[in-house]
Amino acid sequence: MALYQFQLPDVGEGIHEGEIVKLFVKPGDKIEEFEPFAEIQTDKAVVEIPSPVTGVVKELKVEEGQIAIVHSVIAVIDAEGEVPASEGAEEAPQAEEKPAEEVAEDAPVVQPSTPVEAQEEAVSHINVKAMPSVRKMARDMGVDLTRVKGTGKNGRVLAEDVKAFTTGTTTEEIVLPTEATPAAPAIESVEATTPVTPSTPATTAPKAPLESHGMEERMPLRGIRRTIAKRMVESKHTAPHVTIMDEIDVTELIELRKWAKDEAAKANVKLTYLPFIMKAVVSALKEFPMLNASIDDAAEEIVVKKYYHIGMAAATDNGLMVPVLRDADRKSIFQLAQEVTDKAGRAREMKLAADELKGSTFSISSLGNLGGQNFTPIINHPEVAILGVGSIEQKPVVVDGEIVIRSMMHVSVSFDHRLIDGDLAARFISKLKKLLSSPKLLMMEM
Amino acid sequence: MVVGDLAQEVDVVVVGAGPGGYVAAIRAAQLGKSVVIVDKDEVGGVCLNRGCIPSKAIISASERLMHIREASHVGIEVSGDITVNMPKLIEWKNGVVKKLTGGVSQLLKGNKIEVAKGEVYFTGPNSLRVMTDDSSQSFKYNDVIIATGSRPAELKILPFDGKRILSSTEALNLQEVPKRFIVVGGGYIGLELGTAYAKLGAEVTILEGTKSLLPGTEATLTKMVTRKLKKLGVTIVTEAMVQGGEVNGEEVTVRATVKGEEKSFVADYALVSVGRKPNTEEIGLDNVGVELDERGFIKIDKQCKTNVSGVYAIGDCAGGALLAHKASYEGKIAAEVLAGMNSVIDYQAMPFVIFSDPEIAYTGLTEEQAKAEGYEVVTSRFAFAANGRALSMENADGFVQVVAEKETKQLLGVQIVGPEASSLISEAVFAIEMGANAEDIALTIHAHPTLPETFMEAAEGILGHAIHMVNKK
Repeated sequence: MALYQFQLPDVGEGIHEGEIVKLFVKPGDKIEEFEPFAEIQTDKAVVEIPSPVTGVVKELKVEEGQIAIVHSVIAVIDAEGEVPASEGAEEAPQAEEKPAEEVAEDAPVVQPSTPVEAQEEAVSHINVKAMPSVRKMARDMGVDLTRVKGTGKNGRVLAEDVKAFTTGTTTEEIVLPTEATPAAPAIESVEATTPVTPSTPATTAPKAPLESHGMEERMPLRGIRRTIAKRMVESKHTAPHVTIMDEIDVTELIELRKWAKDEAAKANVKLTYLPFIMKAVVSALKEFPMLNASIDDAAEEIVVKKYYHIGMAAATDNGLMVPVLRDADRKSIFQLAQEVTDKAGRAREMKLAADELKGSTFSISSLGNLGGQNFTPIINHPEVAILGVGSIEQKPVVVDGEIVIRSMMHVSVSFDHRLIDGDLAARFISKLKKLLSSPKLLMMEM
Repeated sequence: MVVGDLAQEVDVVVVGAGPGGYVAAIRAAQLGKSVVIVDKDEVGGVCLNRGCIPSKAIISASERLMHIREASHVGIEVSGDITVNMPKLIEWKNGVVKKLTGGVSQLLKGNKIEVAKGEVYFTGPNSLRVMTDDSSQSFKYNDVIIATGSRPAELKILPFDGKRILSSTEALNLQEVPKRFIVVGGGYIGLELGTAYAKLGAEVTILEGTKSLLPGTEATLTKMVTRKLKKLGVTIVTEAMVQGGEVNGEEVTVRATVKGEEKSFVADYALVSVGRKPNTEEIGLDNVGVELDERGFIKIDKQCKTNVSGVYAIGDCAGGALLAHKASYEGKIAAEVLAGMNSVIDYQAMPFVIFSDPEIAYTGLTEEQAKAEGYEVVTSRFAFAANGRALSMENADGFVQVVAEKETKQLLGVQIVGPEASSLISEAVFAIEMGANAEDIALTIHAHPTLPETFMEAAEGILGHAIHMVNKK
């Protein structure tokens, strides 16, 4: 038996930290090698981390909801047999000092935490970090005082520190799970080098406690939901949204798809409208490249992208995810259809790799026939526009001075008015309209 | 269910109108809840009716008697007999109690809280019945706060008879000053009442099972009290295991093994004060399903929640320190939590006060406890003998001791034995709660000449520069 210092492995390219969404074990539990140990959320994917060894969990250095840094020790496992050398890890000093047997005797005595014990905890004499009124304020604002860096005497946390913490204007003092990574960077520098982690919007107002007006259930805002919440606020706050709406006559497109569906089925491809829409979007983006751009706020530059990575919003049990179909301009309708099916499926199973969830240049959010006609989608920041696709309905419309029944698709485009003006957006949507109402034309441009 | 028993619907029922219950009821009402509070006795609970308040009244009266007796020390000659009219003293005490319970009733009324008098029986997690001899009323509620308190524990071998073998309740209503008074149990209740009756003229014997009085209290503090008791002529018998006793007419005999030897003690009254038991039986808690610990206290979490949703417990019946001020604190938390606030039990220092002579009060950690928790500590003690106000009150026995963390000088605990220790401790509790260090206290101006100056001096002692004592190097 030997102590194994389990470091948070590198779960994906360029990711320096991740939120511990779920821990499958607690101290004292026995775990087999390759059994799931924890779920880590990075960017928008939740990755399951298997245990690297077989043994007994001696100590957990992280809690659910905590942000852990890659290569920091997240747990100590009393491992059976040979312990693989952990990458870059230094043995914990106490492990070297104690002979193995003694360590084994030291095995954790897991005491179930009873409510009474919890009460005793409340009066345990850890150093007071803040005055009672500040402690209450922190509770009301949902701030964990241990994560706030105090600027008062002896590191005392002042009311201002708590307020500054919620507005994001101060450093978050990350409680590093271990001393094994003494040089771990403070979170600001982590954020600076981690493009996938959006920084807390700098303008979140101090939160007032929610009033209760009846029976309620409370659950922590965690994981993907928390990321969605952050991202939505960030986008809405940064980009002045304008939404333009229209209806597209897709009667011909429906026929085309009906015809192609059987062909696709032969090739084991499930063909929806989305690949056609994507193709139309790519064509329109080529004509109006400003909608395939971003604003680099730091450099005060407009970045126009010459590649067409289309994000597609997918509903999952855990919340909204946006897998990316790279180089949509270079793929056929069938290829896109296959990829849509594959990525939507893996999104639902939470099996997308982190890099499959980033890099999109324009996104499409489709409610399909779930209900609702037009809606105002929120831009997938830092993109500058998004297409919302609503329902397709048969409607009486006027064609050549006569009322006829046609299938109409409701679409809306939200755009970032900092970069795109209404006329451009209007021309973009009419281009889409033209292409989708006569798919023959779309073929010409593919 | 009684036929035709129509349940009254209400947001919150508070069971027990003691210092936990009535405070919880008022707080819940302030937060917009409709509240019914139930108690089988007068509002105010043990604290107001049979505990803190009446005992302090008797203690104050006994102190006044001592002042009169010792008035010649300060040049005041009192001539003639000094006698104690016990029925009148008790009547005065009852008046004090009545003023306070009347005040609580007014407050409840002012907050539109309905008071239901009677025995409580839970019929389910969201319903209970309040019964009097001739009526019964059912209540349905969303939330309930159980604040049923505790009662004196009985010794099976020396059961209360209410006439000669007394619990604290009866000991607070004696119509005469006992000639001889036995106190079984040298905890704070026995000590406070034993001291008072000794001052009123009784020959008092305290029988304590352990090696010293006030078990659990630091020895340096109890030493001062023991010395004073001996001066008052109180016999202290430690390591005395009571074996039984009986009442013979107007006398009670208590038998005990003292250090292996059988002994008998005879008196006209014996007070048995050997701890308190939670009132968690016979109120139908089984029907609620709340979990109790092995001693019968209700288990709660940091928000005073029990294991049953919507059921809260506070104060003595929920265990921990059996203190009125802890019950009140928890009462506010429970009321706030059920009203949707996210309040939690979150204090750093709990004050403990004993109205002995001299008074003892302490909070936070003792030097020993702080070391055991891994702190490097520094302590400083300042004697009341060097305090002008204490000397001018002719009450200068005792000291203030401050325990601080060595590096930051942050206050970890304060122990006081001496005049007005019970009031002085508040500043110490406040200081610890605010995370103050010794310098914060030293830099705070304390009025002269007053007793609180001793706290400032002890804090300065931590820093090594107290003015009115020679500092340890």
